[in-house]
Amino acid sequence: MFKNIVFIILTISFLKTSSAQTVSPSLKEESDIYEKIYDAPLILDKNQPTPLHELYNTKPLLVVLIFTRCTGVCNPFLLRLKESLQFKAKKDSFNVLVISFDPRDSIKDMNLLARRFALEDNNQWIFAVTDSISKLNQSISFYPIWDSIRNQYDHDALLVGVNNEGYITKKLIGMRGGHDLDLLIASVNNVFSPTYRLPNKKVLFSCFNYDPKTGKNKLGLGLLFIALPAILTVLILIVIGFSVRSKASELEESS
Amino acid sequence: MASIKLNKITSVWIISVLLLFIVSIVLGILMRLNQGEMISQSPITFYSNMTTHGLTMIGIWFVAGMAAVNYIMERYVKTSYTVNVLALVLTVIGILMFWASTFIGHFHSAWTFLYPLPFKEMGSETWATLMFLGSLTVLGIGWLIWSISLMTQILKKYSIPQALAWQHLRKNPTVETPPFILISMITLIGVIACLLAAVVLLVLFYAEYFSNGNFVNDALLMKNLTYFFGHTIANEMLYLGLAVIYELFSEVSGRPKWKTTWYVALAWNCTLVFILTAFFHHLYMDFVQPQGFQIIGQLASYFASLPAAGVTVFSIFIAVYRTKIKWSLTNLLFFIGVIGWVIGGLAAVIDSTISNNIVLHNTLWVPAHFHTYNAMGNVLFSLGFFYWFSIQFSDKTKIKKSTTLTLALLLIGGIGFLLAFYIGGAESIPRRYSIYPSELSIGASLATIGAAFASIYFIAILIFFFNISKRCLKILFSSS
Repeated sequence: MFKNIVFIILTISFLKTSSAQTVSPSLKEESDIYEKIYDAPLILDKNQPTPLHELYNTKPLLVVLIFTRCTGVCNPFLLRLKESLQFKAKKDSFNVLVISFDPRDSIKDMNLLARRFALEDNNQWIFAVTDSISKLNQSISFYPIWDSIRNQYDHDALLVGVNNEGYITKKLIGMRGGHDLDLLIASVNNVFSPTYRLPNKKVLFSCFNYDPKTGKNKLGLGLLFIALPAILTVLILIVIGFSVRSKASELEESS
Repeated sequence: MASIKLNKITSVWIISVLLLFIVSIVLGILMRLNQGEMISQSPITFYSNMTTHGLTMIGIWFVAGMAAVNYIMERYVKTSYTVNVLALVLTVIGILMFWASTFIGHFHSAWTFLYPLPFKEMGSETWATLMFLGSLTVLGIGWLIWSISLMTQILKKYSIPQALAWQHLRKNPTVETPPFILISMITLIGVIACLLAAVVLLVLFYAEYFSNGNFVNDALLMKNLTYFFGHTIANEMLYLGLAVIYELFSEVSGRPKWKTTWYVALAWNCTLVFILTAFFHHLYMDFVQPQGFQIIGQLASYFASLPAAGVTVFSIFIAVYRTKIKWSLTNLLFFIGVIGWVIGGLAAVIDSTISNNIVLHNTLWVPAHFHTYNAMGNVLFSLGFFYWFSIQFSDKTKIKKSTTLTLALLLIGGIGFLLAFYIGGAESIPRRYSIYPSELSIGASLATIGAAFASIYFIAILIFFFNISKRCLKILFSSS
């Protein structure tokens, strides 16, 4: 009972702090996009290892990296993800693969974790460990750092979208809102998702200026450049029209 | 009455255009043969050839239309011979620079040179981009001066409202604006606008090129400007041909001269306004572009093409229906050309409809429609003029058997060549592929068929070239 209360308090406190800290998009999310994820042999149960491609070939994957002894972001991250995905319209179009990046974790530990989140009977959620975690981590640029003082890993809350050909289509770092998850799910299903260029001081004549804070596009100076040729043409037409007519009338008057 | 100097320079334009046309057709056939896997070109060679083929074709049929309009305009106003020569010199220099950038420098970002492709070397020489941009600058300067000069000459005789035939929108106009002047004026305004778009575009390209990374362009702005220039000039050059038809069709058919009516004036004024915004239909896939622009693009595509096509087809139909007219190669080419223009235009309108564009975008339907109104439309307008010009000083105006054969070759070759594109488009075969993957093997078969029919078309063009150039050379070297 005491353990559960501590777990809930920790979860709520982490939800608040981490959501405040990790909302801003990071350039780290842009690495490895359209690269293939490492085809690691996964241990899902006591049987033979299952290669990762067998999972993503069946359905696109949202890959979550955690470890069971985590006292930090892992549990709130999983909880938030579980809650967010419950209400997604197209939740049958993908599976969630939770992999431990801690070599100390066994499939038994992962199954216990699944039970704690009441996901052990949920076919959409797959819990696994692998003996090739370093290669897998490298393929998705995920680099947890061991902190020997706290006896914990310092790591990102990383969610990786993998389509059914094994390509990384999108990455999300931190606990993100429903819209970002929608984009991630769309990307693993090869559905087009619009993206906007962030403001750049080198681009002086943008047609539109995207504001990442509000998510709105404002009209830019570039639009004027599109109209400029037509405006100049009208001016040239009027100037030539009047100058040749006035010259002609001057000639008429003088003659 | 045209002066000897004007006859001679028009002859030079005609011979130059036909020579460059032959080279460009050969490049086109090679591209289709490569897609059909009958020959093997490297991707760089294929795309360099595609770039050369595209821009050379646009350039030569634009100057062909301008040369024809310049020649006929002399009937109404005095034109500048010096500017005509300057345009010729700058066109030759520009084409040589452009060919150097593609044939020697392997520049290969297509004639649309969509930003940022020209800045990606991808196997081309470092100097090729600057040479390409330089060639566009030289061509643009020459053509802009020529267009402004012709427009100025019209405005010396007609006021702006008269040149645009606004008085014909009222009853009993006091001043008559000939259809040729109206259409030439409308077209020249459009040409100047699109060439100014090219100026803005080139300035932005140069700014980034020489900024050492301190200035970066906005891709959406560059794409808008590219199609403002590219789409508009590709359409305006058709209208140059139509201006010639409005002047010559009735004349060579032995019929009364066409006059400007209220609906002709209204239709062409609509074309002037709408053709400048129709290019938005090239940006349907650019989600950042506001939806309003996309809707304008679709509506402008309808309103720019339908009125002009409607009145032209009506005028031609009235001229030939149950009327005994004197058929010659000139009016036959004009007549077939108008049919080609209308069919190509309809295919373009189908593609410019947003719901269809989702399916047809960047498929072979696109080259299908623009090759229809160019190869079987605008080219025939200009060939009609070239033929009429070349026989002016001889008595051979009757249609010979060999002429019928040439026309048959032109039609069979042209239609077969275009059908291969249309079927490919309907089958969703993408365009601009140097070779097709096995999943799109029908694209390779159609390309081979297209190349075979294009070769038949090519034979017809060679016959035209031989006959017309022979007469033009005589005009060029005659003393009177």
